[in-house]
Amino acid sequence: MTAPALEIIGLHKQFGGLVATRNLSLRVMAGERRLLIGPNGAGKTTLFNQIAGDFLPNAGTIRLFGTDMTTLPTKARVRLGLGRTYQVLTLFPNDTLLHNVVLALLGTQGGGWSVWGGLSRSTGLHDQALVALTRVGLGHAANRRVAETSYGERRRLELAMALAQSPKVLLLDEPLAGLSAEERETVRLLLEGIPRDVTIILIEHDMDVALAFADRITLLNFGEVIVEGTRAEVIADPRTREVYLGH
Amino acid sequence: MKLSPILGFALVALTLACLPVLLPDGFYLGIATHALVFAILALSLDILIGQAGMTSLGHAVYLGLPAYAVAWLTVQAGWPPLPSVIVALLIGTLTAALFGLLALRASGLGFLMITLALGQVMWGVAYRWVALTGGDNGLRMPGRPVLLGIDLQAPLPFYAVVAVCLLAALICLWHLDRSAFGACLRGTRDQPRRMRMLGHDVWRIRYAGFVIAGFWGSVAGVLYCLDYQYVSPQALSLPQSAEALLMVVLGGAGTLAGPVVGAVIITAIKTVVSSYVDRWYSLLGLTFIVVVSLMPRGLVPGVRDLWERLRA
Repeated sequence: MTAPALEIIGLHKQFGGLVATRNLSLRVMAGERRLLIGPNGAGKTTLFNQIAGDFLPNAGTIRLFGTDMTTLPTKARVRLGLGRTYQVLTLFPNDTLLHNVVLALLGTQGGGWSVWGGLSRSTGLHDQALVALTRVGLGHAANRRVAETSYGERRRLELAMALAQSPKVLLLDEPLAGLSAEERETVRLLLEGIPRDVTIILIEHDMDVALAFADRITLLNFGEVIVEGTRAEVIADPRTREVYLGH
Repeated sequence: MKLSPILGFALVALTLACLPVLLPDGFYLGIATHALVFAILALSLDILIGQAGMTSLGHAVYLGLPAYAVAWLTVQAGWPPLPSVIVALLIGTLTAALFGLLALRASGLGFLMITLALGQVMWGVAYRWVALTGGDNGLRMPGRPVLLGIDLQAPLPFYAVVAVCLLAALICLWHLDRSAFGACLRGTRDQPRRMRMLGHDVWRIRYAGFVIAGFWGSVAGVLYCLDYQYVSPQALSLPQSAEALLMVVLGGAGTLAGPVVGAVIITAIKTVVSSYVDRWYSLLGLTFIVVVSLMPRGLVPGVRDLWERLRA
């Protein structure tokens, strides 16, 4: 039997008196699309931060394909195949879209230590970056600066940077936030197009898109797993109605 | 206005070559030499400030320490000049490698305070360890040595050596700027957390930047010792670190020309104006306030913006 893509056992994180993650366990199988939902402050992004290694949990274990990475630094987790996009955009605004993707490629492929032979002449990296941009429909805008692009284009650039690294497990933090209906449709198709060898864990408030996309759903509240199951199970559960969907 | 880099470097080389002919005598050539030495120091500091986004108030360590090393090795230990220079560069760079381990435990204000503290420690040692450093009197060289067959005693050959070093620093830093490593260094400046999530080792990238800055600072330090033929605790002092920082900010951090322009202006004010005006430090402060309030990013980016606005 193969190990789950992501396995979290008994994760606990406390900031002073505030419990952000409470004895949380989660298993996501390879290729699965998992949706995390929950009200604001439920601890969804805090969970992502711990999976990514921004800070360490007080207790618990996080495994990626069976490898314990609870205390590994972020760069080692990326090497194991973890990728992430951010809720608040953290791009390099004064550089071109192409440059942003090249930085992503340098992160996983190495080569960031090269001091000689200008980066702009490194055609191999640029070709790969262009492929990644074309994949999200931004090939034509490769040489524009991020500051000159629209919000929707930046969201797609976030995806291009994550996908360029060929992650095995991808954490997507609200990829549809702040987008127009038309842009949502574009991003939805992009997400649908990601091959099944990439496992996706998604935080999203847009239920129309997210519910259709997800295989399984986990509902969090106050850092705890409240309900977990298939789409139908979670929607039918009265606690979901109470915590999240209802009113 | 976009200059091709080769044309740009050729112009700089031409200017440096013409300067001795244009200047009236050896006195002014000496001042120009001082300015170029400090230009190398400011360029090295700008690797930290402009590229890595880490402001240091202890960069005088890499000016003063190799300067002391050259003076002590040649005068006290009686070493020949070339090994002294090489060992001095090595000492400066290794000190950066050591101090980087300490300073890079923090970033931002913490980094600033650690570099400041390390600088003060070195100044204190130079001031108090009289047997080694001569204390307040400093160490004096008997004259400039013959290095690689070039007699550096006269102003012109020494100026030429400093000019070549400056050109080499400019070319190396230009390479660094456009290399993959330069891109990663700027990435850690703008979005350290994102760089981590992209798989980069942010600490190691910053550390490498710190050591490179230490090396080029040491080049300036060795030239400083040969230039003044004298080194005292003043070379390691906080005012010296602050002056280097001022040069970078005045000229414009994150540009190649900025630190050079800043170094030339401040050296000119310091040496030329101070012979006419007593309170030249006040004049320096005033210049700084005027420039920074009119052009917050420094002279070189400010003039460039102005030029583009006038053309449009």
